[in-house]
Amino acid sequence: MNNSLKPLAFLLFALSICACSGAIQSSGATGIPFSNDVTDAAVMGKWGRSCALCHVNGEAGAPIVGDRAEWQQRLAQGEESILQRVLEGYNSMPPLGYCMACEVSDFRAMIGFMAGNNQ
Amino acid sequence: MKNITRRSFIASGVKAALVGTAAVNSAATAQSTPWSNWSGGQICQPAGRYDIASEEQLIDLLKGTSGPIRPIGSGHSFSPLIPTDGHLVIIDQLSGILDYDSSTLEATIGAGSRLGDLGAALEEIGQGMFNLPDIDRQTLAGATATGTHGTGVSLQSLSGYITSLRLVTPEGDIRDIDASDGDLFDAVRVNVGALGVVTQIRMQNRENYKLRKREWAAPTEDILANFDELAASHRHFEIFPRVYSDYSSVLSIDETGEPIGQTIIPDEDVASIEPQPLGPNPSPLERLNYNNARAANTQLTEAVDVSYKLLSNLRNTRFNEMEYSVPAAVGAECVREILKTIYDQAIEVAFPLEYRYVSPDAPWLSMAYGDEPHATISIHRVASEDYNPYFDIMEPIFWKYGGRPHWGKLHSLGHRELSQLYPRFKDFMEIRESLDPNGRMLNQHLKNLFDA
Repeated sequence: MNNSLKPLAFLLFALSICACSGAIQSSGATGIPFSNDVTDAAVMGKWGRSCALCHVNGEAGAPIVGDRAEWQQRLAQGEESILQRVLEGYNSMPPLGYCMACEVSDFRAMIGFMAGNNQ
Repeated sequence: MKNITRRSFIASGVKAALVGTAAVNSAATAQSTPWSNWSGGQICQPAGRYDIASEEQLIDLLKGTSGPIRPIGSGHSFSPLIPTDGHLVIIDQLSGILDYDSSTLEATIGAGSRLGDLGAALEEIGQGMFNLPDIDRQTLAGATATGTHGTGVSLQSLSGYITSLRLVTPEGDIRDIDASDGDLFDAVRVNVGALGVVTQIRMQNRENYKLRKREWAAPTEDILANFDELAASHRHFEIFPRVYSDYSSVLSIDETGEPIGQTIIPDEDVASIEPQPLGPNPSPLERLNYNNARAANTQLTEAVDVSYKLLSNLRNTRFNEMEYSVPAAVGAECVREILKTIYDQAIEVAFPLEYRYVSPDAPWLSMAYGDEPHATISIHRVASEDYNPYFDIMEPIFWKYGGRPHWGKLHSLGHRELSQLYPRFKDFMEIRESLDPNGRMLNQHLKNLFDA
């Protein structure tokens, strides 16, 4: 993922993943715990209906999907810390980030995806 | 959930989910992620989640499973409508505009659609919703189920604009319900998620339109004394009475044909003028003087945009809220008593109140049900703070003026009081009993509401 990729382009990319079943293999980035496969259409569908509300345009200060520098700062705080923020809410982000259908495994995949971990 | 803190509850859920071991408490054996509402004030450990992709899936689920379920929109209700140790039913895949009629200006909408996604979609077909609430992250199903409303003495709650809807009953049967169904129609339009799962809603809309929004500050007493006239002379008119202050923020919104843009921009030099800062532990009088000085620097702003962009906005600060409606004739008196009580008891709160009128409404459980307009009054508390001490003092004031609670906001009333406040409440209870005799849709909060 190019850091300069526009959010809209990233969203279109993500939705294109949702729309097809072809596998895109993880690049196996090192040092980042969230490395789930983003090819799961169900997970990406949940992402598009929840996280995307704020993480595409950076609404309310949310880190933008694919902005690796921003996400690396957060990932450096540790996996459990980030998950806890998602589950409890953090700043403007409500608990569960508007994803009522998400389980922890979904959040792990989504965070990895937004951090550009799979590109 | 009384014996453990919210933080330890969620932390234990995270731990269980991460290591994939034992459940977080003895009542739940599933590994489903703990649920919390938007504010974080309501939590539960559901047995699982059903992420519904179609009506057929929903019907199969309801016919093929047993046990308690709670349908959920976006989790924006502050009241405990959702917490369950059964299953959550998520409907946000049932979304989008399914059908529309350009001659009647109606649109059939997937009930899981978020209000914020509907504005642009409706604009594309030349339609706009008559009104919207302050926050547009809610689903249409959730907003209408709780009687959510916007501002405007001539504008009904969102539920008032429903012309038909599809309900999948707790037994998995489809019911398409409209005005020809009489009482059932008036019961189901504000249903508190207790009658089944709503999958489609047909809304009466209007042609799309632009609005001009003006915001300024004015003495609260001046506005309250003329509120009826002001409310009648604007499409939307509301105030945010500031606590420890003689002033309110004032908001008027009217239809316009003017070009889109920021038409009056505040002078930054004036806006940046701040009075002498308050010292530690200021007295109510010191706060009053400080806030009045700040209000004097508040300038008029004005903007024009398409309706859905001006009626709702994003809330960056999470909070808990209590909202009651009272007959419009006593609304100003109720606001005065709340402001005076905050001042006299030196209650530590910074959030302003919100005060507005809504039109008489036909759905039985609408806050404005009946023949007269109602004033709605909201109080807020930052989500990280305990709301109980403040709300416990305020709630009896609402009761004194005949207040009816908003279903999605915090209140402590049960079926006895509610039966006195909502003339058709017992009729609603009978319909609920007939549609869900086994109480599958009920959690403890709804059992208290409906004596079930």
